[in-house]
Amino acid sequence: MKLFVFPRWANKTRQLLGLAMGGAPVYLTAFVWYGFSPKTTDVGYQPKQPVPYSHALHAGKMGIDCRYCHNTVDQASHAAVPPTATCMNCHKLVHPESTRLLPVRESAATGLPVEWVKVHDLPDYVYFNHSAHVTRGVGCVSCHGRVDQMEVVHQDKPLSMSWCLDCHRNPEPNLRPPEEVTNMNWKAPADPTSYGATLREQNNINPPTDCSTCHR
Amino acid sequence: MKPKSKPKYWRSLSELEGDSEFQEFVEREFHSPTEQTPLSSQGRRRFMQLMGASFALAGCRWQEEKLLPHTTQPQGLIPGVPVNYATFMDVGGVATGLLVKSYDGRPIKIEGNTLDSVSQGGTGTFHQAAILGLYDPDRSSKSLQGKTPSTPDAFDAALLDAFAAAVKKGGAGFFVLSQASSSPSLARLRAELLKQAPMARWVSYEAADAAGPRAGTQLAFGKALTPMYRPENADVLVALDSDFITSAFPGGIGHARAVASRRDPDQGKMSRLYALEASLTEIGSLADHRVAVAPSKIAAIAAYLDAQLSAGRAAPGAQTAPDEAAVGGAQIKKVLDVIAKDLLANAGKSLVVVGSGHAPEVHALVHRINFVLGNVGSTLQFRETGDTLAGGVDELASLVADMEGGKVGTLLILGGNPAYDAPADIGFVSALAKVPASFHVGLYVDETASLCKWHTPLTHFLEAWGDARAVDGSYRIAQPLIESVLGGRSELQILAKLLHLPKQDGQSVVRDSLGLSVAKLGSGADKAFRKAIHDGFVGESATALEVELQQIGAINLPASTDLEVIFEVDPALYDGRFANNAWLQELPHPLSKLTWDNAALVAPDTAKKYGLSDAHPCTVTLDGRSVTLPCLVAPGQAEGTIMLALGYGREQVGVVGGFKAKDVLSVGANTYAIRTSKAPHFALGAQVKAAGSRVELAVTQHLWAIDAIGKQGEDEREDVLVREATLGNYQEFKKQHPGHAAHGAPHPGDIKGKVHHPPKLNLWNGPVSYDGHKWGMSVDLNKCSGCSACIIACQSENNIAVVGKSEVARGRELTWLRVERYYKGDDKNAEVRQQPVMCQQCESAPCEQVCPVGATMHSAEGLNDMVYNRCIGTRYCSNNCPYKVRRFNYRNYNLEFYGTTPYSGTDDPRAKLKAMAFNPEVTVRGRGVMEKCTFCVQRIQNTKIQAKNNKRPIEDGEIKTACEQACPTGAIIFGDLNDKTSRVQAAHNKSRAYELLQELNNRPRVNYLARISNPHPELSTQDGHSSEHH
Repeated sequence: MKLFVFPRWANKTRQLLGLAMGGAPVYLTAFVWYGFSPKTTDVGYQPKQPVPYSHALHAGKMGIDCRYCHNTVDQASHAAVPPTATCMNCHKLVHPESTRLLPVRESAATGLPVEWVKVHDLPDYVYFNHSAHVTRGVGCVSCHGRVDQMEVVHQDKPLSMSWCLDCHRNPEPNLRPPEEVTNMNWKAPADPTSYGATLREQNNINPPTDCSTCHR
Repeated sequence: MKPKSKPKYWRSLSELEGDSEFQEFVEREFHSPTEQTPLSSQGRRRFMQLMGASFALAGCRWQEEKLLPHTTQPQGLIPGVPVNYATFMDVGGVATGLLVKSYDGRPIKIEGNTLDSVSQGGTGTFHQAAILGLYDPDRSSKSLQGKTPSTPDAFDAALLDAFAAAVKKGGAGFFVLSQASSSPSLARLRAELLKQAPMARWVSYEAADAAGPRAGTQLAFGKALTPMYRPENADVLVALDSDFITSAFPGGIGHARAVASRRDPDQGKMSRLYALEASLTEIGSLADHRVAVAPSKIAAIAAYLDAQLSAGRAAPGAQTAPDEAAVGGAQIKKVLDVIAKDLLANAGKSLVVVGSGHAPEVHALVHRINFVLGNVGSTLQFRETGDTLAGGVDELASLVADMEGGKVGTLLILGGNPAYDAPADIGFVSALAKVPASFHVGLYVDETASLCKWHTPLTHFLEAWGDARAVDGSYRIAQPLIESVLGGRSELQILAKLLHLPKQDGQSVVRDSLGLSVAKLGSGADKAFRKAIHDGFVGESATALEVELQQIGAINLPASTDLEVIFEVDPALYDGRFANNAWLQELPHPLSKLTWDNAALVAPDTAKKYGLSDAHPCTVTLDGRSVTLPCLVAPGQAEGTIMLALGYGREQVGVVGGFKAKDVLSVGANTYAIRTSKAPHFALGAQVKAAGSRVELAVTQHLWAIDAIGKQGEDEREDVLVREATLGNYQEFKKQHPGHAAHGAPHPGDIKGKVHHPPKLNLWNGPVSYDGHKWGMSVDLNKCSGCSACIIACQSENNIAVVGKSEVARGRELTWLRVERYYKGDDKNAEVRQQPVMCQQCESAPCEQVCPVGATMHSAEGLNDMVYNRCIGTRYCSNNCPYKVRRFNYRNYNLEFYGTTPYSGTDDPRAKLKAMAFNPEVTVRGRGVMEKCTFCVQRIQNTKIQAKNNKRPIEDGEIKTACEQACPTGAIIFGDLNDKTSRVQAAHNKSRAYELLQELNNRPRVNYLARISNPHPELSTQDGHSSEHH
């Protein structure tokens, strides 16, 4: 019977193994560092928008309700980005000459849309529905942070699957009366968890954790 | 391993004979799993060749996405919320009402219009697949002068000049060739054209000639009328070579629903259905008695029935009964005697229908039969034909004679493709060359367009205003769903401009016709018009006319010859107009299960006699013309007949159907090459001989064969998958077991499979209580005709990729829903059982247990969720699925076919256009991912969210899966099993409900309702399986 003989290059495996073991911690550290950094989960993602629109001014200082612009948020999966006409409702009269509003006036004149950059961008295999959350009493602030204090909107929460599931498994702390969803300053009158439990009972809220809830 | 006995139900001849080919299919989970398809193979090249290097790498991170809002929001429009619009699709001059789902202005899915009085929400394969046709980049997008690109204005100028010149001569020499049409607007414009140019001529032609029934009424009642069948009123139905429930038959969708409404053994009186036909058909699949007869025998059969019935009803002027040989032998005579008896017993409540292709004399005779039986008025009504165009072969032949004679100065071809589908003997192509000015308006730069001097693109029906009549004469209206994507114009627009109408846009033309034809409008016209476009129809069905029977002369019986050829329009490609639609090309033929090809269907004995064998080419010769195509040995085909499907062999349509100039081979063979104007439906005196060695046919009949613990085991247990009983036995059983519930309880003797199994125990306790919703489905085998509309509906709804011929042949097709076709009986008189199989959504699902990465999980509502983004492609789940409903993406099929996916991005305009057909509600899968039926979970979720937003419960029937919505017969029901009043719950509780492979204790959520046949006592045979348990 012919014996198996290791080929000559097999002698190098020990050195290679040593190299690999030396490299492993570096690799793992890099993997975790990059993989879990906000840059990857996109917390803090803050693209430049074509119009320097300030949520801090409109939603914060002037106190315009979120739904004045994002008016389909309680009816559809998309919280519609407002049409140019919505901007022009006021800006026909307010700062009609401002250069910063030039793209908006151009859009109104030409009929071509203002090209806003999407900040909260979920993977294409995730189907999120705004209306399902807003009508159940999950506040805007729970996922978007204090938009009323943002000069330029950035992504405030990781929007990762585990982050979604944290709330789907334990929704109480994030529940509020549905009429308070856009109120950025709302505070639970009692302990948020027990108050949330009452609301959950009242409004029959049972967030599913099935795969097909979001993936289909 | 050879089974001990012949199986009772069989999928193919190779199974019936128990040869090794079928064994291999059953035993191998993955048919040829590892080989890579060579890229150069024909089926693949079809899609791949026009894909440029347009796939720029998008980078490691996902792209920056832009949000582009409207500048001014249209009122009532919510981004991302689909809106349904009513419209219709016209096939062969008959409209079927549709609802089209538009997603942010983009039509993505076609459904039936439940308000439609005829189709009642049912659709067929043509309608479902039209979405892919809309986004076909091979459609014509440019006007042409000869071969050089031109403009629509230049086309119009040339056409207007030609018309103006003709008008000066009173219109002489100006000819229009259109397709069959029932459009009141087109009729109005035609009248206007003939007013401006009285000597002009308008001719219509349709390859699927339906002139027979109308000419038949002329003979029978002295007046050309349009028949309206009312099968819902018929206790006995006799289909003589007439598949009148397919979407290819005028009003077929409505007939399917009406026939199925009388096939419920639990409700009302069940009808009895006889089908005498040459090839297996959909009506043959439903029939209680199906007999194979050659079409040349139909005239004699009708005459025989007339003689018997007229004697029974003492009606004068009957035919003399032909002898036994003329009707096809003693066996058939016996059946005819029983049919005659049954018809007489149900006079006034019966209906005899004969195929459209038969001669006017045969139609007249069948009209007479119905008249003598007193069926006219109840099961058969007649209405005024009005201004509809039927599209006869004779009309085209006379046009060609005029073209040859130099009488045609200008020919305007409005739609249609006569250079491809005209009968071979009249020489349309050579005559067309003699026409000085020819203008073609069509969807494609097709065979006809390239022979004309001018061409301009036509709109797809989803892009244009239009009107037409349904089969019952009621008015349908179409509105554009989208601006013409490739710059086409509708026939109405082109004619309105030609005739200098004051208002030339499609809406005005349609609206003006409506104002003229519906007198009721008046002051509230605007409101009425808006209601009309909302509903998709106006007014009631036409009034039924009284008719009086005339004397009919003795009918000529065709001389009996050895071999006859039958031409039928294809159930997928119709007359060839859908040849570039890949969904339809890949759709398995409802009976032969052939994809991407047509074949010569011959009975096993005929094949033996002429030395033909399965999948080997043969040459069929008729009057000196011949065509070579693969032979397919088809059980149930009438002996001495060859069935040829029309619509294949297109040489100039696109990268799917074939384009000679671009080196894309045609799909199938052009059988119009031997079809003549004298015998467009069937022709006698053909010759056939074998021609060459085996070719590859992509037949899906073996694929996904369920292995019920080994084939041998299945043969012993016989009918576990398809179960059936006779109506008598079923009713007897129900009487003996009142209050019977399906699960676990015995079935009537002949429904119950002879399965013995130990008490069923669960391997584990399910963690799910299903106290919310509990989705389930039922499939009624008594109603399924195998039409396959569900398959296309599923494909359209769920972004299921097209894989191509060679991949289908490897068993890699992706359709989530398949319709199993089983033969029953011997190969001469094979009957067919159809069984749609989709994911059974087992409560104790074998697939879920073996996924190493949790990519298929059980939901709280009992769905087997499939998570594409988790799937790593081990295929263990598919390996473990006893129902074989899981499909694997061996290649990046979507990228290959569409040229892009929502994730890859592209600048290629062709790919961008194709990708508009994707449903944005469903993930588009890539390579290496398993997929399967989800019960249309996107519809479930969206309805659930909407209902809860509005704080209301979900109503039964509010969620319809794509297959359920499409089904013309209502065989599929989906609903909540926790809702005790739901239709699906009622179906599951029926005595004839059963689960597939119940002994495995997978607890599937799909229940099948056993087929209950209603045979005539004198014809019911002991079909060889006893009711006692082993």
